[in-house]
Amino acid sequence: MPSAASWFRTAPSPEALRLGRSVLRAQGAAWGALLAYKLRSAFVVLAVALGIAALTIIIAAVDGARRKALEIVEWFGPDAVLIFGGNIENRAVGQRTLTLTWDDARAIERSLPGAYLVTPMRAKQAVTLRYENRNMVTPLIVGTTADYAQAWNWPLVEGRDITEEDVLRSAKVCLIGDAPARELFGDESPIGKVILAGDLPVQVVGRLAYRGFTPGGGGVSVDDRLIMPLTTLTQRFNLERKYFRGLRVKFLEPELMEDHLASLKSLLRHLHKLGDDMPDDFSVISASEVLKFLTMITGGIMVFLGITAGAAMIVGGFVLANLLFLSVSERQEEIGLRKAMGATSLDITLQFLSEAVWLTLIGAVAGMALGIGMGQLLAKLGLLEIRLSMKLFLLAMASAMAIALVFGLKPARSAAAMDPIEALRGGK
Amino acid sequence: MPSDPLIRLEHVDKTYRIAETPTAVLRDVSLEIGAGEFVALQGPSGSGKSTLLHIIGLLDRPTAGRYLLRGRDVSGLSDDELSGLRNQSIGFVFQSFYLIPYATALDNVLLPGLYSPAPQHQLRQRAEHLLAQVGLADRMRHKPSQLSGGQQQRVALARAMLNDPDLILADEPTGQLDSKTSAEIMSLFAEVNANGKTIIVVTHDEETASHAKRRVLVQDGTIA
Repeated sequence: MPSAASWFRTAPSPEALRLGRSVLRAQGAAWGALLAYKLRSAFVVLAVALGIAALTIIIAAVDGARRKALEIVEWFGPDAVLIFGGNIENRAVGQRTLTLTWDDARAIERSLPGAYLVTPMRAKQAVTLRYENRNMVTPLIVGTTADYAQAWNWPLVEGRDITEEDVLRSAKVCLIGDAPARELFGDESPIGKVILAGDLPVQVVGRLAYRGFTPGGGGVSVDDRLIMPLTTLTQRFNLERKYFRGLRVKFLEPELMEDHLASLKSLLRHLHKLGDDMPDDFSVISASEVLKFLTMITGGIMVFLGITAGAAMIVGGFVLANLLFLSVSERQEEIGLRKAMGATSLDITLQFLSEAVWLTLIGAVAGMALGIGMGQLLAKLGLLEIRLSMKLFLLAMASAMAIALVFGLKPARSAAAMDPIEALRGGK
Repeated sequence: MPSDPLIRLEHVDKTYRIAETPTAVLRDVSLEIGAGEFVALQGPSGSGKSTLLHIIGLLDRPTAGRYLLRGRDVSGLSDDELSGLRNQSIGFVFQSFYLIPYATALDNVLLPGLYSPAPQHQLRQRAEHLLAQVGLADRMRHKPSQLSGGQQQRVALARAMLNDPDLILADEPTGQLDSKTSAEIMSLFAEVNANGKTIIVVTHDEETASHAKRRVLVQDGTIA
């Protein structure tokens, strides 16, 4: 019967001490061999590094995408939806896309519970902007009703927003994006200056904050646009006056978004006099749908990277296993000798496993460096957003260890199982 | 009761199966070797003398018969127990030295220490001392490839003595050395024997055997 005290003893058992000593002393033996077979070690390190690099990118990218997704919800606004004319799902059949009218906008603002900001969206593409002797082409002039900055959660760094009065009067005023402001005015303040948009002189009344690339990738900047009252845009640039391309609606109580969406849809169907059997002639997009779409795109990249990472890791593992087997058969003499000198099977297993673990750990560090480098390159190209974390480091290390243990165990065991006499003879 | 001999073999057989045909390598070998002896196992190649040495060195197990080491029957011991016994009680010297090519002379001598419970610093001191004793105090950091055959065998002898075993087994230790170097190595063995170690040398060379105090002739798997 073991005494009660022995259950609580704090000193390690002799077995544990012996194992600890074996593990410790195996490291010396392992390093000796690793340095002796440098080229071989380098191959394993390289193979593992490629796998870990792929893994690093995928983890960093997944984290980056998640953060990006959160940013999108923020940017889009969890309390907002976009309505487009025409049904996205039926667009291919050539359905009419100009279906949203002023009347719709007014009806939504007046009679839809919870809706408080309805902003029609119209735009004119590729217009040349001029100020003094400088000019640039803005890809987009956006028409808006009052309170553009508020509706899009897009702060102004200077000046004021478009007002109700601007819209009513078709005032020749505009908000300027960060890019044209820099291009035309440099460090000067653009507020109060008059620029030419095409042939139309407009006064800059506000400057939008820098926002960066649109979420969702593609590297499209939203900072190079000009914002003008909707009425000004449609009248001065001869756009269709009755219809809008899109409408943006903000709701109170974003937690009731599902209900808002449902009532918005039935209101529009009613306004457009659609029968029960007719499809929607509009599309409603909310933040959660943008997210869905984005997940679909990045999901594709993730699957591709995941397969690549998995394949690379397995290749790394096989390279490791093969080179270890080669090492074991070449070093039979050493193995036989060690056994004759009193090494147990455990000692031999530990030595070869230690070699495997060290190689993969070095590979993991190299791979992470490589992965972070490549990830930053991809991020620069706008293909991915990466995010580095402790989790990444631990995961890479853990997978390296897993490779070593999974693929190293068999060769190590085969070394340990050798008969010392046979092994000594085989070494000759 | 007289004290047990260091080694006692009783009616030991060793049979290998080669292509399903049992081939007897040792037949009914009984042998006693006392502590402090210096024995040469002589015989032509294929006589079974190496197999006998492997059995004595706990690298191989007899097919039949008993082997008592210091009076203790070793046939029931596990592989790990045999490893422990080899580590602490037996030192090996081989014909082709078997030094680890990528390790220094000192690290080669330290090899049995990897598997011994003795503290590292103590093993290291002893290894340096042993290398000095075999005349290689100035070659401790050399790799085997930088040493002559005779020097390599001295390293191997120092290695065999690291854990202070009772028994040193040598399988054709002069097989790859010229006669002058052979004589030097054998006198080192004699010195070690004079310090109290039991030594068993397998050889087919008369000159080498002449250094031993007792000769055992192995022929056709039996002791003549």
